[in-house]
Amino acid sequence: MSSADEISSMFDSESQKLENFLSKISDNLGISEIIETYYQVMNVTSMISMLKQQLDSENHKTILDKINKTEQVILGKFNTEAHPKILENLTNSIQEMTKILQSSSGEKTKEQIENESQLFEELRKKMSTKEFVEQYDKGLA
Amino acid sequence: MIEQLAKNLVSLKKEFAKNYDGKSQMQEVIPISTSDSFPIKQQDLELLHQFATKNPIYYNSYEQTIDNTKCIVYEGDINKYWLNSIQHGSSNAPFSPTWIMSAYVAVLLTKELGYSEIIDIGSGDGRIAFCAKVLNMEAYSVELDEQLVDLQKILVTTLDFHPFCSDATTFDYSSFNLNHPVFFIGGLAQMGGVALATGVIDKIQSHDFWKTTGWVFAGTYSQKYAPDPKNEAGWGTLIEANKLGKLQTISLPTVWTFHETDETPYIFAESL
Repeated sequence: MSSADEISSMFDSESQKLENFLSKISDNLGISEIIETYYQVMNVTSMISMLKQQLDSENHKTILDKINKTEQVILGKFNTEAHPKILENLTNSIQEMTKILQSSSGEKTKEQIENESQLFEELRKKMSTKEFVEQYDKGLA
Repeated sequence: MIEQLAKNLVSLKKEFAKNYDGKSQMQEVIPISTSDSFPIKQQDLELLHQFATKNPIYYNSYEQTIDNTKCIVYEGDINKYWLNSIQHGSSNAPFSPTWIMSAYVAVLLTKELGYSEIIDIGSGDGRIAFCAKVLNMEAYSVELDEQLVDLQKILVTTLDFHPFCSDATTFDYSSFNLNHPVFFIGGLAQMGGVALATGVIDKIQSHDFWKTTGWVFAGTYSQKYAPDPKNEAGWGTLIEANKLGKLQTISLPTVWTFHETDETPYIFAESL
């Protein structure tokens, strides 16, 4: 297999993985799914930027077309639609959980305290995920 | 003797952590009686237990023998204080305490080093200042978070360690009439501790007691944080920049290192 074929095949595989992640995006995305999706977007974005420098339009038209198509998916479907929605959902969910936890007062049993502690743990995870997503957002600005 | 006491406490913590199967957010142990491993006055131990039993952050306790040492295990939860601190941005670092026994050992070392007054900066529930009173030293506790100062007010009924609700970087320390003080900086260097310590140093550098002042910094070797180029568990640059002299380091268990293999290094230094 030529080097261009190898690159093309690798890019196909990574952009396919990306498409799979993007197709699963919903309002109920879990923390690990969010992280995996962003990592794949960043992975493919860096691949695109590297390949665009290495490939020329005369000899690598097919793969460059694929790259452009995938770039449009990231810019359109992810950056414009999915990413703002994920950030909004995280913000709302954090606000909601914070409100619930703040309003919880009074005497509690050991079990209640320990169950609530898990909610606090979940809140901390959501907050650090939001920080991660906001870092991505800063990169778009 | 104090170094050995610290080592024995670390061994006790490791043994306890290895077998702990509870679900509490934080947990710590205090030996019930004086022993060869913990040659601490019985009266002091009882005061430490009083601090824990009165403290609302603990919701459960039980007896357990760990490595032949009969202890009380205290289980607690500090989530609501964390939530309050992030909501109001009222502190540099969220409240996460050292162990009560660690506070006692660290204060014991400052006493052996000749210091007579302890100022606990970013004091949380005031356990370091409380231990200073247990060891007959003068104590002051400065905390920015109002909710935590309210908690301290519950605990001063045993021993008054003088809680103050204030920003430690603007506080007027001259009102304490300090002679040979030691300042404990609770926050890690990388978690706002450097800014806090720098603010306090700037505030007291012009005072007469500056040259007789000691410092205790809580450090970390965790790879989560960028290392300080001058080392000292994150404090090397601050120590050098302010011409402090390092005295000693001891490692002690803290709530935030319960699941870690490395304990928290406490760096003892003095103004030169």
